[in-house]
Amino acid sequence: MSDILSFDDISFKSRLLVGTGKFSSIKTMISSIKASKTELVTVALKRFNKAKTEDDLYGPLLELENITLMPNTSGAMNAKEAIRAALLGRELSKSRFVKLEIHPNPHHLLPDPIETYEAAVELAKQDFLVLPYIPADPVLAKRLEDIGCAAVMPLGAPIGSGQGLTTKEMIQIIIKESNIPVIVDAGIRSPSEAAQSMEMGCEAVLINSAIAAAENPTKMADAFQQSVKAGRLAFKAGLMPSTETAIASSPLTSFLSSYD
Amino acid sequence: MINSLPDWLDPYKWMHLTESSDLNAIEAAIYSKNPTIRELALLLSPSAKTFIEPMAQRAKYLTQRYFGKTISLYSPLYLSNYCNGGCVYCGIAADRRADRLVLNNKQLSKEIEELSASGIDEIVLLTGERMPEADVDYLENAIKLSSKKISSINIEVFPMLENEYRILANAGCTGVTLYQETYDPIVYEKMHRWGDKRDFYNRLHAPERALKGGLRTIGLGALLGLANPVFDMLCLYNHANYILKNFWQSGISISFPRIKPQLGEFRANFPVNELMLSQYIFALRICLPTVPLLLSTRESATIRDGLAGLGISKMSVASKTTVGGYSSNIEKSTEQFEISDNRDIKMFCNALRRKNLEAVFKNYDSIYREPVLYEKKSKK
Repeated sequence: MSDILSFDDISFKSRLLVGTGKFSSIKTMISSIKASKTELVTVALKRFNKAKTEDDLYGPLLELENITLMPNTSGAMNAKEAIRAALLGRELSKSRFVKLEIHPNPHHLLPDPIETYEAAVELAKQDFLVLPYIPADPVLAKRLEDIGCAAVMPLGAPIGSGQGLTTKEMIQIIIKESNIPVIVDAGIRSPSEAAQSMEMGCEAVLINSAIAAAENPTKMADAFQQSVKAGRLAFKAGLMPSTETAIASSPLTSFLSSYD
Repeated sequence: MINSLPDWLDPYKWMHLTESSDLNAIEAAIYSKNPTIRELALLLSPSAKTFIEPMAQRAKYLTQRYFGKTISLYSPLYLSNYCNGGCVYCGIAADRRADRLVLNNKQLSKEIEELSASGIDEIVLLTGERMPEADVDYLENAIKLSSKKISSINIEVFPMLENEYRILANAGCTGVTLYQETYDPIVYEKMHRWGDKRDFYNRLHAPERALKGGLRTIGLGALLGLANPVFDMLCLYNHANYILKNFWQSGISISFPRIKPQLGEFRANFPVNELMLSQYIFALRICLPTVPLLLSTRESATIRDGLAGLGISKMSVASKTTVGGYSSNIEKSTEQFEISDNRDIKMFCNALRRKNLEAVFKNYDSIYREPVLYEKKSKK
């Protein structure tokens, strides 16, 4: 049986989602996307450039085969702007997917839960497949599921920080309670962290900086592709139980057996 | 007199560290996980020059982490060089013999057309001090005109009132660049001989008024060479943090304008050479890792290429500092300062590419022009 990642009636074989910012050239971006074997790529609406095609990310991405675009609302500071960006993104990409990100503070880029929720309500009504970038907050995740989001994307650490899964405990609660895919977005630096996310039960991971800012982005994209696969396989296989201490072969309470 | 600065700005108690020769402390500051003004003071010290290479390495690492392998581009657009100001260091001060010009609608449209055709999508509109020729109404109109073709519009003009900033935010302006020039009030007074600009505190608090008026970003800077540059860098750090703390949605950027020792009639009292400039940029990058740091075409091609990506994340390109400089058929006006890097956009982008950096022209969109509200639903 094949292992498929689905959103509504759209399904993917790859569980690695890739971002398109921060690359040293469009050529490197494209070769990294190919090496990652991703099928779902996110791109900022603000990087659509009609006036200067060499600067436009949409043109080259739309030419790729077997890739679905997921425009993102990076740059929006509130729900109103994000909704506007999502609508324009849908026009450009002909895709129902939107990566909803609203980060009013341009320095840490942490998501605004209130504006994100408001925008998600509206976009879900308008038949978008909404994938919101959120703080690793289990209650917010459930609220977003309730109003019809296609997935939730809690952060592992601030965007671009490469600090890894600093919110691991909260993400585990979100996974345990969620009926929609949980995708770790932001914070991951190394393939082992992506694998760990998948082992925990994430349905996918979204990687941008860790590939784009690597010394060799194309090779790193391949490394992530393999690690996500391995992590997913491990999750499906079921990890052995882990305990704090060794299990004694002669139980300490054997003396109690005669009192049964 | 330094003590007359507000507490949040005054770096006095840290100044002794800027003379530190404790090499262990300086080296630790480079790799500090949570750098503060303490680390900045150490990194600004003359002794820190010993570590210029590791500082550059660290600056590159941090820049790449937050900004990727990209450099955002912008261009200045001089609207007017009419000025009643008395800045002793400026080429268009009121007492300079200068050819004065202010763009009319047709000329401005031509300039915008020219810049937009070259791919530029972020501009800074500049004027001199507040003049009848270029006042708030004039700016409002200029912003509206520019916003038809350009996504990101910033102004570098005179300090204004909150409601004036609001008018410009509603017209489509997103950011204000306002250099304090120097944070030393005594030097400040000497450098600004007459006019509104003599009011140090009016200028100091203008960024707060701009943010209350709905603008998104503030560009800070000190004109290096006027006063003790180490003092000014520490104040700049405090100023940035003060704004970030009080205006949580604001974006701050920092520029490094410099009076070059070898150019012009005005001599810098505290000359800052290329090595010092680089050290200050690295130090600020290490201590403010998420703040865009800008370098203009005032600096040479060699220095710009060298510092691109080493702290610097945003650069102007193919700048003209004359009014009407982009569309050649306008009569010549006097430029504010001399350009050192005269390369065109293509040459500059090629130089960036050789450093494995991509120029980003459009990193903003006109749909993101909602004026920011800081007091959304204030409880009564």
